[in-house]
Amino acid sequence: MTAEQGIAAGPRKAKYTGLDAVRFVVLSAGAVAMLFPLLWMLTIALKSNNEVFAMPPEWFPKEMQWSNFVTGTKEINFWQTFGNSMFIAVTCTVGQVISSVLVGYGLGRLNFPGRRLWFSLFVGSLMLPGFVGMIPMFHLFTGLGWYDSWLPIIVPAFFGNPTFSFLFVQYLKTISVSFDEAAKIDGASDWYVLTKVLVPMAMPVIVTMVIFSFQGAWNQYLEPLIYIISPEKWTLSIAMASYKGTYATAWNLFMAADLIYILPMLLIFFFGQKFFMQGLGSVNSASLK
Amino acid sequence: MRSKKKLRGWVIGYLFILPSIIGFSVFVAYPLLSSVYYSLTEWSGYDKPRFVGFANFNYMFNVDPAFWPSVRATFYFVLLSVPSSLILGLGLAMLLNRSLPGIKWFRTIFYLPTVVPSIATLTLWLFIYQPQYGLANSLLRMAGLPEGTWLTSEMTALPSIVLIGLWQVGAGMIIFLSGLQSVPQELYEAAEVDGAARWRVALNITIPMITPILFLQLILGIIGAFQAFNQVQVLTGGGPNFSTSLLNFKIYTDAFNGRMFGYAIAEVWVLFLIIMIFTAVTYRYSNRFVYYESDNSR
Repeated sequence: MTAEQGIAAGPRKAKYTGLDAVRFVVLSAGAVAMLFPLLWMLTIALKSNNEVFAMPPEWFPKEMQWSNFVTGTKEINFWQTFGNSMFIAVTCTVGQVISSVLVGYGLGRLNFPGRRLWFSLFVGSLMLPGFVGMIPMFHLFTGLGWYDSWLPIIVPAFFGNPTFSFLFVQYLKTISVSFDEAAKIDGASDWYVLTKVLVPMAMPVIVTMVIFSFQGAWNQYLEPLIYIISPEKWTLSIAMASYKGTYATAWNLFMAADLIYILPMLLIFFFGQKFFMQGLGSVNSASLK
Repeated sequence: MRSKKKLRGWVIGYLFILPSIIGFSVFVAYPLLSSVYYSLTEWSGYDKPRFVGFANFNYMFNVDPAFWPSVRATFYFVLLSVPSSLILGLGLAMLLNRSLPGIKWFRTIFYLPTVVPSIATLTLWLFIYQPQYGLANSLLRMAGLPEGTWLTSEMTALPSIVLIGLWQVGAGMIIFLSGLQSVPQELYEAAEVDGAARWRVALNITIPMITPILFLQLILGIIGAFQAFNQVQVLTGGGPNFSTSLLNFKIYTDAFNGRMFGYAIAEVWVLFLIIMIFTAVTYRYSNRFVYYESDNSR
């Protein structure tokens, strides 16, 4: 399976049997169970607070309280926090994708002594549990005066992500080396070959990297939790985890804010669905080789 | 002239991979090596580490009342969460593999929960599990069933956390699904010619063909489950009575609340060793069932 192939509709021409009917029922029930928590969240975000705590429970709001999205985000300085998260996520994404593409090109297309060794070291480091380095890194970063700043979160992103480099190396295998050679015969530098020849052809895998990188940065919790103290520097992950107590009596406001936290990921998912599937496909093909 | 050009090529190669060389040295090698020493020290993070030999490990195994309950909770969590999400993920993928009306919708819906950020998921489920007004007990009451204790009792807290992970089973499902789609069609066609029953096709063709993916997901699942942290931090704080005190959470609290950096690093190494042993054992036993298409020597 190459990275270009997404997931096809199904391997064979449809000719449904009784077994397929059972399958349909099972999947429908599962789908309802999957959607239920999110729909519940949405209904609460649109309810008045009295309705949230009504007994017996009311499933649907009598009147949509759209104002929850305004009030819910006002009290906790939500939009500044949202901006912080967005800035961090975008910066980390830019750093990770650029550095990983550079490293991937070096590992996938260039020849130099030690290339194989470094490749296995980078890939091997993926197997190391992330928390092994947590405390020494904390000591190092605080020693640099980076405590209570975004630097411990942003700076490491610029030093390559082994998973992404690996994905890029795998993708480069599907592009013939003759493209590089032709350009080099015309006197092109490696920089030119990478940026003008290969990157345009590798756009699908790069978009995949952008999506996963953004998702990772938007979701991360442990690093901000360790390093960021001042509430005005918080990310949304920290803010939402902290305000769950503050909003113990105003679920509707909390759910409204939580939904806005989810929204960027939902948008990326719906517009970039193809790339989600593709990326996972290429992870797979890598594991099969 | 020629060797100069070659040398230039080498330098360029190293320049391209320089970011990861620095990243590996500073963010992987340095912390890994220095933590070997730190694990043998008493260190608050403010003062200088003081060498104490194996005192940390002695305290961990023989004195710390929270250590063994944490080990127990961690193993219980791994044994509960890894197999259940593998089986459910694979099962869903097999159900979603063949065409069906609305199949794309089904795939999208089952994947959807995995794009919800971790903290949004956990805070949502915290409200779902809330005893009085939460969704879980509201549904049970509506069905006339007794209410669940969810996160509030020792017995049910950890399984309740595992259940949240199953809501996000779509991540594994989609990987299995794309693996299933890459099984060569000829195999199915041959089976069809032979008139093989569907369950036999699944058992003798589909599952053997995707064992490499199953294996990779198993290893990654084990490594990931041993490192679970967010759930405990957001939902339970380790309670009730240590029943959800996963090791990674204990390490975090010992380091950043208890200010016992040296001790926490010693715990990191124990957890790390546990993960390595688990992975090695899995690796060893999986050789028997993993099928590699390109490998004829086995």
